[in-house]
Amino acid sequence: MFDGTLRLLLLPFALAVVTPAPSAGQSWKEVTMSRQLEGAGPIEARVSYGAGTFSLTATPEPLLYRMSVRYDEEAFEPRAEFSGDQLVIGLEGSGRRFSFNRSATGGSMNLELARGVPMDLDLEFGAVKAAVDLGGLSLTDLQLSTGASESIIEVSEPNPVRMSKAEFEVGAADFTLTGLGNLGADRISVEAGVGQVALGLDGAWRSNARMSIDMGLGALEIRVPEGLGIRIRKDSFLTSFDPEGLVKRGDSYYSLDWEEAERNVTIDLNAAFGSVQVVWIR
Amino acid sequence: MRRSAALNRSLLVALAALVLPVQGSAQLREVVSKQIAVGASDAELVLEFRDGERLSAALRNGSVVVDDRTLGSFETGDALDAAWRSLLGQAIALENGPLAQAVVDWAPPESLSGEAAEAASALDETLEGVLSAPAADAAQDVSVSIQDGSEGALARLLVGSMTRLSVIEEALEGLGSRLSIHIEEDFDVPAGEVVEGTVLVIDGAANVAGEIQGDLVVIDGDVTLEPGSVVSGELRLADARVVRNEGTVEGGVVDVLATERTDISELRDRIREEIRDEVRRDIRSEVRRAERSSDDGFSLFAPVRSVVRGIGGVIETVFVVLVLGLLGAAAAAFAGENLEVVAETARRAPGRAATVGLAGTFLAIPVWILGAIALVVTIVGIPVAIAWLPLFPAAVAVAAIFGYLAVAKNAGEWLADSGYEWTDWIRPSNAVHTIAAGLIGLSLAFGVAHLVSILPFFGFLSGLLTFIGVVVTLAAFQVGFGAVILTRGGRRREYWSTDPDETWAAAMDLDSDLNASAEAGAAPGGADANRGGHDV
Repeated sequence: MFDGTLRLLLLPFALAVVTPAPSAGQSWKEVTMSRQLEGAGPIEARVSYGAGTFSLTATPEPLLYRMSVRYDEEAFEPRAEFSGDQLVIGLEGSGRRFSFNRSATGGSMNLELARGVPMDLDLEFGAVKAAVDLGGLSLTDLQLSTGASESIIEVSEPNPVRMSKAEFEVGAADFTLTGLGNLGADRISVEAGVGQVALGLDGAWRSNARMSIDMGLGALEIRVPEGLGIRIRKDSFLTSFDPEGLVKRGDSYYSLDWEEAERNVTIDLNAAFGSVQVVWIR
Repeated sequence: MRRSAALNRSLLVALAALVLPVQGSAQLREVVSKQIAVGASDAELVLEFRDGERLSAALRNGSVVVDDRTLGSFETGDALDAAWRSLLGQAIALENGPLAQAVVDWAPPESLSGEAAEAASALDETLEGVLSAPAADAAQDVSVSIQDGSEGALARLLVGSMTRLSVIEEALEGLGSRLSIHIEEDFDVPAGEVVEGTVLVIDGAANVAGEIQGDLVVIDGDVTLEPGSVVSGELRLADARVVRNEGTVEGGVVDVLATERTDISELRDRIREEIRDEVRRDIRSEVRRAERSSDDGFSLFAPVRSVVRGIGGVIETVFVVLVLGLLGAAAAAFAGENLEVVAETARRAPGRAATVGLAGTFLAIPVWILGAIALVVTIVGIPVAIAWLPLFPAAVAVAAIFGYLAVAKNAGEWLADSGYEWTDWIRPSNAVHTIAAGLIGLSLAFGVAHLVSILPFFGFLSGLLTFIGVVVTLAAFQVGFGAVILTRGGRRREYWSTDPDETWAAAMDLDSDLNASAEAGAAPGGADANRGGHDV
């Protein structure tokens, strides 16, 4: 909850970054970086991108990564380093002529990561419009944090490896996450500050799972496929809750087929100043 | 049979590729990573090869630069610039072999002349030179042989653990290319015979009585060097032992895994050291904890310490009662009627007051925050918000204390009515008396708890009394705070009875103190009149 408040306070700064400014003096550069796949050992991948549009998919080629980035060379420098089992990819401030007034909205990063390589993936976005498809990646751990962004995260294919935990920290954002079941995560946590968050619980759940959702100021939509048993334990303050298709027993809301469902997901929901809606998808 | 031979050949090729990676001839170097950067004034290609070497070739600000070495100059936008950018555009979609081939195949435009042509030619030659594999590698004589009957063993080896293959690779590092491999079988060199090239024995015994003109590598096996035997190169051992060494090893005996063993030994030492440090830290903290607990435990000074602590606690309780008593006297003097109204509400509806008090306690902080937000949002209210932030908590604290004093007053009146001899000093008509008596009564559990704590073996009783004191205090605060809220700080009567019977009953219940009755009769809503819950 405190993170959400902090993000709310940081919102003006984030907006300052994304506010378009005169493009005079910008010098755009396009860089493509790639690395051959060597072995299939587990890696830790950290991807950071400050401002612009971002896309991530799994590459069909035998590559560890391929990154194409367009950036203002006066303000940023691309980075792609692989050492041991650590992969660091991102666009960093060059420290030369960086200023908040410089527009970075014309920048973009298209990233492809290896299929079949078990990886701990850490994605960090600032003011970014992101389209991420995690399908095809072998994720053992996932951490995604966004600032002021519009993010669509999709898990289009089941994760072939077991994921210990998936953490999503959403700042002031429109955040859509679909195919959560395909992540194969034992534990999922979503912390959202301000904005609209849609969480799609579709996909192939391999086992029962637990989710914790901390929602600050905003609207949360939980999309549940029919046949998946869900239980919501709610702790809210000044939050409207529309438990469509759920029945309250004790301190929890249960889906009607909770006992019969092949897979169950327990959601610990903590919300304040907003709305929470459960939508069933067929 | 043919199938087995084909499989055998495939396995041999695979093993050769594994153990002799460099010797597998290749025309172009393997590219493991690439970077293509295209900007307004530069176009750069950076390649990293399997062996860790890097190549950087760029047309940058009018100069043709390879690995920070300037080869010549060009004009931005000329034919060389365009051809180079075209190559890079093509290279974006290529990796490794095709990428290296494309770079090698690249040729500068023929239309160039002068300095640009020279620079382009130098660039082209440099790229071809760097990307081509060393000729010596291709020319090496690679000969791998295997003994009959080892096909299954070879397959087992190849599908076995990567660790074993890496040991083989390490054991063969830097040795000649002519190699004879023996897996799961003994290898003998009878006296008078000469074997040329490197001999690799895996899971077998090497018995040498003759001569090996090369190196002998034994992995997971035994070596016997008979008298007069000669190994002209090195004898390399990996998880192997020399049973008898009566021959000559001209290149010396090398333990391939010695470094690894040293590393493991160092790692073991480091772990041991870390565990020792950890244990030391734990022991130190345990000792500190034990020392601390011994302060609280039994010792010669323990009785004195408990007396000091107990008396200190009693003094502390008395001090708190005195301070609250002074506040009570002030409240009776300056807001006596409000205090009376609050006390009456607390007396007549303690449950309701406690509920409201509990709700008020829980809502105090949210109301404080939301109030501040609401004031700030209205902009105009910002000055009020500045006052709101400190004053609201102060007001809540004052209300809670005021309510507690009102409850204390009720408690004092109850004590006065109780008929105990030791309560004779309490004058029910005197609000200060009743408040003081009530405060003493409400704090009695704490005081007794401190006194009991002086005695040995009465810790449980002391704790129980403290617990009772806490419960009583919290209850008094909740009831009092709720009564303050209900009566708006004693400005609104919750129970103003007009029933004459109740009034009469209350009158009958009046204290025998005539003076006090007279005062109460003179002032409607006075102390005694209200004790029965009525205004006379």
